[in-house]
Amino acid sequence: MIDMLFVQEYLPLFLKGTFAAMQIAFFSCFIGTVLGLLLGTVLAYKVPFLQQLVWLYVIIVRGTPMLIQIMATYFLLTSCGFCISAFWSATISIGFNSGAYLSQVVVAGINSVGRGQTEAAKTLGFSDAQIMYYIILPQAIRTVLPALGNELTTLIKDSSLASTIGVYELTKQGQIIMSQTYNAPAVFMMVGMIYFIITSVVSLVVSSLEKRMQYYVKH
Amino acid sequence: MLSIKHLIKKFHGKTILNDVSFDVALGQVVVLLGKSGVGKSTVLRLLNNLESLDSGKIELDGRPINFRNVGMVFQDFNLFNHLTVEENITLPLVKIGMKSHAEAKKIAKGLLVQFGLESKALSYPAALSGGQKQRIALARTLAMNPKVLCLDEPTSALDPQLKLEIAQIINALAGRGYMIVVTTHDVALIKQLSCTIHLMEDGRIIESAASESLQLLNNQAKKIKDFMLEK
Repeated sequence: MIDMLFVQEYLPLFLKGTFAAMQIAFFSCFIGTVLGLLLGTVLAYKVPFLQQLVWLYVIIVRGTPMLIQIMATYFLLTSCGFCISAFWSATISIGFNSGAYLSQVVVAGINSVGRGQTEAAKTLGFSDAQIMYYIILPQAIRTVLPALGNELTTLIKDSSLASTIGVYELTKQGQIIMSQTYNAPAVFMMVGMIYFIITSVVSLVVSSLEKRMQYYVKH
Repeated sequence: MLSIKHLIKKFHGKTILNDVSFDVALGQVVVLLGKSGVGKSTVLRLLNNLESLDSGKIELDGRPINFRNVGMVFQDFNLFNHLTVEENITLPLVKIGMKSHAEAKKIAKGLLVQFGLESKALSYPAALSGGQKQRIALARTLAMNPKVLCLDEPTSALDPQLKLEIAQIINALAGRGYMIVVTTHDVALIKQLSCTIHLMEDGRIIESAASESLQLLNNQAKKIKDFMLEK
């Protein structure tokens, strides 16, 4: 099904799609992480009023398919006159989706750090922001790293949904190659393999990071 | 002089502290003695601004206290687990005390030598014994140069030898002019301290006495003596 000639001929297109998919994953991961941190902090510290708004946001995101969110964002923005590319619309949409899920991970991470750590820092004169930055987050990250790794691999796979609004990422490139070669099994096996390799590498990196971050719990 | 005047604290309608007042002079050790749940730790939490006062005053030298002048060593030590021993001391010095890294390291080294823990500078808290954690927590607090030192149940997790060591450290710190407030129900510790004892019950101080008076065979400080005998 997959011969060397096929790989040789279409590899540049697959790589181009892979690069686009990685870009979507990277930028949406960045958006998701920043948003997740902010929303998670609001939820963990039960900020009045904002907490309810964040919950509403999380419920809406979790209760609707990502495909619908991607299409709704794109068509809503363009119909409102915003000049935004399909690439950025999909990236923002996936990032915002990820932010809602990551907020839950952040809450779990913050809650995993004992209250005593915060109190000790307070008595030493740290401000709330300093406590978060220097004391809570470094410890919370260790706890939530596995969940963050899962989220990143999910993001890489979810980037394929951007193809539905015409972003030329890996899945879309596969569809184009398939329409030229009519060799659907080879194309999608190749696409699947690329996703598998990337997510496996990410999982390995995250797993090695996890081990390295155990440094301070070892005797 | 630290003056604690008429402290009242309630949680969910329940009175935890009911008109608690006492003074702590320079170089004096004050022990809040009592069973668990009588409000001893709440006094320390109020002194460290970890709880808000419902009523009363906390003054240092006649003025409302600046909480920067108060340091606290927690019962569970609460060392920052992700930082080395040295970093536990230097981080607050750099970020709060505005010291340079070099200055902070020098101060940390001095304190670690003083407490006999210089070899543990690069260890993480998880690798330390209870007594070592206690001394590091103390060193971290002292590095910030407080005038008032609060110690919450400082010997609860220590063996008798280490209890003696902590008592010696507390006496030495008092000798250096710190105003020290200790909460405990550890009779062995009190016997080693030169201090003023306030016995607490139901959120009130019900009796006060100097530790020296406990040696006398008379009716002075009867409740404190009874409490210590019970223990």
